Amino acid sequence: MRVALFVTCLVDLMRPRIGFAAIELLEAAGCEVEVPASQTCCGQPAWNSGDHAAAAALAKKVIAEFEGSAYVVVPSGSCADHIRNEYPKILSSDADAEWHARAVALASRVYELTDFLVNVAHLETLPGKFAGSVTYHDSCAGLRSLGIKDQPRALLGKLPDVELKEMKAAEECCGFGGTFSVKFGDISAAIAARKCTNACATGAQVIVGGDLGCLLNIEGKLRRMGDQTTRVMHIAEVLVAKE
Amino acid sequence: MSSREDILGRVRARLKRNEANAVIGRADINAALTARAHGPRPAVPTEKSALAGRFREKSTAQSSTLDSVATITDAPAAIARYLTELKLPLHAVVSPSLARQNWQGAGIKAAARGAQDTDLVGITDCFCAIAETGTLMLCSAPDRPATVSLLPETHIALVPASRIVPGMEDAWALARAELGTLPRAVNFISGPSRTGDIEQTIVLGAHGPYRVHLVMIEDL
Amino acid sequence: METRARHFKANAAAALANPVLQANLKTSKSKFVDKRAIAIQELDDFEGTREAAKNIRDRVLNNLDLWLEKFEETATARGATVLWAKDSAEICRHVVDIGRRHNVKKAAKSKSMLSEEASLNRALEAAGIQPVETDLGEYILQINDNEAPSHIIAPVVHKSLDEVADLFHATHKTPRKTEISALTREAREVLRPHFLSADMGISGGNFLVAETGSVALVTNEGNGRMVTTLPRVHVVITGIEKVIPTLEDLALLMRLLPRSATGQSISNYVSVLTGVKQPEESDGPEHLYFILVDNGRADVVGSEFHDMLRCIRCGACMNHCPVYQTIGGHAYGWVYPGPMGAILTPLYTGLENAIDLPHASTLCNQCGVVCPVKIPLPELLRKLREKQVDGNLRPLFERLALKAWAWVAGYPMLYGMATWFGVRYLKWLADGKSSIPILGAAPEWSVGRNFPAPEGKTFREMYAKKKGKQ
Repeated sequence: MRVALFVTCLVDLMRPRIGFAAIELLEAAGCEVEVPASQTCCGQPAWNSGDHAAAAALAKKVIAEFEGSAYVVVPSGSCADHIRNEYPKILSSDADAEWHARAVALASRVYELTDFLVNVAHLETLPGKFAGSVTYHDSCAGLRSLGIKDQPRALLGKLPDVELKEMKAAEECCGFGGTFSVKFGDISAAIAARKCTNACATGAQVIVGGDLGCLLNIEGKLRRMGDQTTRVMHIAEVLVAKE
Repeated sequence: MSSREDILGRVRARLKRNEANAVIGRADINAALTARAHGPRPAVPTEKSALAGRFREKSTAQSSTLDSVATITDAPAAIARYLTELKLPLHAVVSPSLARQNWQGAGIKAAARGAQDTDLVGITDCFCAIAETGTLMLCSAPDRPATVSLLPETHIALVPASRIVPGMEDAWALARAELGTLPRAVNFISGPSRTGDIEQTIVLGAHGPYRVHLVMIEDL
Repeated sequence: METRARHFKANAAAALANPVLQANLKTSKSKFVDKRAIAIQELDDFEGTREAAKNIRDRVLNNLDLWLEKFEETATARGATVLWAKDSAEICRHVVDIGRRHNVKKAAKSKSMLSEEASLNRALEAAGIQPVETDLGEYILQINDNEAPSHIIAPVVHKSLDEVADLFHATHKTPRKTEISALTREAREVLRPHFLSADMGISGGNFLVAETGSVALVTNEGNGRMVTTLPRVHVVITGIEKVIPTLEDLALLMRLLPRSATGQSISNYVSVLTGVKQPEESDGPEHLYFILVDNGRADVVGSEFHDMLRCIRCGACMNHCPVYQTIGGHAYGWVYPGPMGAILTPLYTGLENAIDLPHASTLCNQCGVVCPVKIPLPELLRKLREKQVDGNLRPLFERLALKAWAWVAGYPMLYGMATWFGVRYLKWLADGKSSIPILGAAPEWSVGRNFPAPEGKTFREMYAKKKGKQ
């Protein structure tokens, strides 16, 4: 099957290896992966900040870029949720009736990465053989809007040398919240501290998650707390890692 | 313009109220008040002894204590035993609806009236009891003043097993059938009064009774 | 109550630095959240019950004017007087009038959030009527110089046992107690004479039942029963949105309210009060007044924030909110804290007076999934953010930065160039380390965290290069 990868602005900027890992996983599942070259950002920061016009402009751009694909796969719960569930709301005015229909049509074909690998592509054998103890942080949008919970754990379970240790309050917010982290930094950091404490209490060597925003927040907090050794990795990276 | 007209006027405008939708709206009100539909309810056993068992379990969980007698005439003696065990005086204010019971025979000095602040023990009956949550339903009446279950530190209630119903909806159905109009005060009571306001620690005995003792009447 | 929501950031900073508050927030979180999780398992069909509760509330709100008229009709038929108040001033006027008419010297109050909105106690005192708060938490606040509540269900969740013990010792002039049960007993003994001597009882109203013209009071302490049984006059102050259709609807809502609020299967007392004392009765008020309050609610009906009116004031949203759990309730600056407060405060006191509140959220939706009436809280917060943008209330720098980002993101080539430079600059700032301690461009981020270093190239440039080689 042919899938289009929406790589997300954070992955593009900060961790291209997550994008390449996603491609590797999709290809291992037998998919042919396209990466529309003009993609930039899904527009979530604009929408969450209340700039409807900007959010709508970016939504239309993404819809036009991706609606030709049978599947759109996103290595981020929040971006996948935004495209899938928010685009129809963004384009809901009478003037946008045609765009609304296109947004709805696209929505059903948009998947978060682990959800796609488990429930659509049915990936059985992983290309990596990561060894070590990990703990998984459930990102809010992925969990509460898309139902991402079992899928990453199912995939981690396929790695024989990975030990999954669940942290206390895995489902609680890490405090990132996009623009929240740069508006209310002290509150955000305090929430992040709780998440880091819970994660490190498991003794896991690696904190894993499906959303780079959360992971950057957690990693930044860990390093400020003096922890230079606990690794923070996106699940795609873990699943393709060769050691 | 009165505040009433101002407020209702703005609500009407925001709802785009007109004659046509008012007719539909009023019909919906009548439908709701006639149907009095129940929503989803957790399963509660309906068989008598299971119902009583559930009531016992739930009221114990609410920190009430329980006793059981065969008929109502056995109740005064059981209550006298309870008061003696707890070293409480054999003095009580009783709901006038219970004035006919043989309190004197059990050694209890009973005053059939509303409660005063000096009353330490209050004895009431109940309209019915709810098994789902271990709750008493008390309905005020001239011979059932609400203060008897409120002011004294110890509240003792007689609960006939035949009056235990599964849920609050069933309690309302019984009230509709037997009382017609709603009494001034319907009080659902689930154990001793309590508060958790200080450090979220639950303490029994806030302003209402410190202890609630239920005497189930098996009506055998 | 005057709003201090404008000072949110400063108040939040103070809250973060307050060790007693932080310890109390930690304890209350574990109690409220964990107990609720256990209690809702008692419901076979929690989601179905929530949906039914939402529908009950929507049914009334969608015809609110007609339901209010119905309630007025049934309540009046049972001997109550129904009054209407547009705003805080009118609430106070009505209550003082009633007090004067009935020669009231003392008013015993059980909890009423509306009376907090209106600063009623101050108006009563000015009119020579002594208000006595009887809800233990509210009483503690009253004797502490009328401090504001920090939670709608647990008003003194921010106070420690020691603080309460000191307060009682100073105010009651009694020996200082060290145990919670002893303090509770002391409060009982101090307040009992007030219950017995109060001329008027003032309560809120958890629900107004249109079918019967009744008010339902959900309490644990018994004070709600006291103030509505002993005094000659009972005044109910509640918002116009509190109407529900039937007694059966009350039964359903009572499955959700106590569980969502404190994790109890049922509150200790549910009092359904209808009309005045009958001639043959020996207790109950001779006069019953309902004050139905607008104070901003009417204007929310039919608006994009209409769903917020479904709120049944359980407090579950704030209990589950990571932001509330971190800063407590006072930071929000008005009567209602947490997610519901972040929505109601701008709606009822003015958008421009509560700019920070809708933004002080990660939109995590922990609140939305526990709301017993399915209010889409994060969606409403986002809509408030949009209203701020439309109303030109956002700081200029923020608006420009967002517009710039969105504009550039619309031009892939330009975006590619900007990000090419951007990631290299950040990599340079990292100076070989894995993270940047202080990122000048994002000072708020850097308050408590480092900023991880980027790889140094963008995905798009690397992918394009890879493809070019093939």
